[in-house]
Amino acid sequence: MKSANAASRCVVVTGLGAICALGATVAETWAATRDGKSGITEHLFDPGPNGPPPHTTPAALVEGDVVGMLESALGRRVGASLDPFSMFALKCSHEALDAAGLLGSGSLGGAAVVLGHGFAGIHTLEQSYERFYGQKLARVHPLTVPRVMVSAPASAVAMEFGIRGPVFAVSSACASSGHAIAQGAALIGAGGTEIAIVGGSEAIATAACLRAWEGLQAMSPTTCRPFSQGRDGMVIGEGGGAMVLESLDHATARGAKIIAELSGVGLSSDAFHWTQPSLEGAVSAMSAALDQAKARDARRILISTHGTGTPLNDKNEAAAIHSVFGGRAKDHPIIATKSAHGHLIGAASVVQGVIGLMALADGSAPPILNWLGPDPECDLDLVLGEARAIDAEALLLNAFAFGGLNTCLVFRRWA
Amino acid sequence: MATLDDELLDLIAQEALIDRAKLSREATLADIGLDSVDVVSVVFAVEEKYSIEIPEDAFKETANLGQFLDILESLIEKQKS
Repeated sequence: MKSANAASRCVVVTGLGAICALGATVAETWAATRDGKSGITEHLFDPGPNGPPPHTTPAALVEGDVVGMLESALGRRVGASLDPFSMFALKCSHEALDAAGLLGSGSLGGAAVVLGHGFAGIHTLEQSYERFYGQKLARVHPLTVPRVMVSAPASAVAMEFGIRGPVFAVSSACASSGHAIAQGAALIGAGGTEIAIVGGSEAIATAACLRAWEGLQAMSPTTCRPFSQGRDGMVIGEGGGAMVLESLDHATARGAKIIAELSGVGLSSDAFHWTQPSLEGAVSAMSAALDQAKARDARRILISTHGTGTPLNDKNEAAAIHSVFGGRAKDHPIIATKSAHGHLIGAASVVQGVIGLMALADGSAPPILNWLGPDPECDLDLVLGEARAIDAEALLLNAFAFGGLNTCLVFRRWA
Repeated sequence: MATLDDELLDLIAQEALIDRAKLSREATLADIGLDSVDVVSVVFAVEEKYSIEIPEDAFKETANLGQFLDILESLIEKQKS
């Protein structure tokens, strides 16, 4: 069947936003990543008088007064209605729309918002349940539901910027914002909208939630060392990322500065295991994205790996890259920025996408941190030590979530 | 010892995420940007802290923070007596 014109519309990126442990803007985040700075430090998590004793664990948390930053960006009070995961989403969406030249443009009425989150308003949920179960108070805070619901950030962005098109949240654990980007692109491709604000956010660094992650035996007690010998797990991060996607026609007509083309989307499910990845699932998503982008034979592709630093993920991802690229696997520089900003779960894919697009534009690949030495099962062209000059023509952005949900996206540098 | 005014203003600052320095009796609710969602939060916190019940229409005629405090304080006093 011949594809309709609308379904093959070219989708481009015209704005980026980010907030994470490395900075509250794209510029700060990119500079820190490129310069090899780490946002991972030890933090004390105190569950309060009704919980077990406080404990210390590494995490990559957003520094500074988020409410103040948001109020100064929006030029208004933020108020009591937002959980931190909504604040992160608002902050980076504002930055992306501003960068795209769309704030106050009057052209957002029919736009879409698709945001991904692995969890929801965990800070609010934990506080409310602590009152209920811990302090045994029967009444729960009246704003608990709107603060906790997984679609709250999407609603907050729509209300803030007057966006009245398709607005919703998607969830697929660590691939959530990858699916959000894919879904936003699909809406534009199908002709449902010209502009989509896509991305995701996560704020799950609470005393009880971190204990839940530790229970999975996937957390490092030290730090995140992707593809390294002796790697022992992931480190939780927090924050959010946003991209403005537009149809090429719309972006060109308004004279927007185009950052990249989203040229390939590969989505797959392992249908296999809760926490173990499968080679087939990763290979299938990467292959689909590269084939759609016609990039399989590209001379140089910057690969932003899922690279969590767990023994299983990194070994499986390295094998998948070898399987997809064969003898040319080591032609492509490998980055793994979770070693700097931690694992942002639902927001990981988009924040890594923002960093990857900055790397592509800057011609500079940021280093993988905390590497101790080679692991023969991760034999790839790792970018180590310091940033490396690259001449990549495309970015491959991998996300492989618990539960076996995979998104691979290919972005082409815009000439 | 903190006065009841101070206690309530601290609570409003905390619940509605407003800079405490901006809260004075003279400020109007519009000045400080206290919207209906913030009021729901503040009312809940005050009800819990002082074991009182605040009627839904208690703040219908309220123009400034001073009047808002007066209503809360009279309800708290009534509960005490």
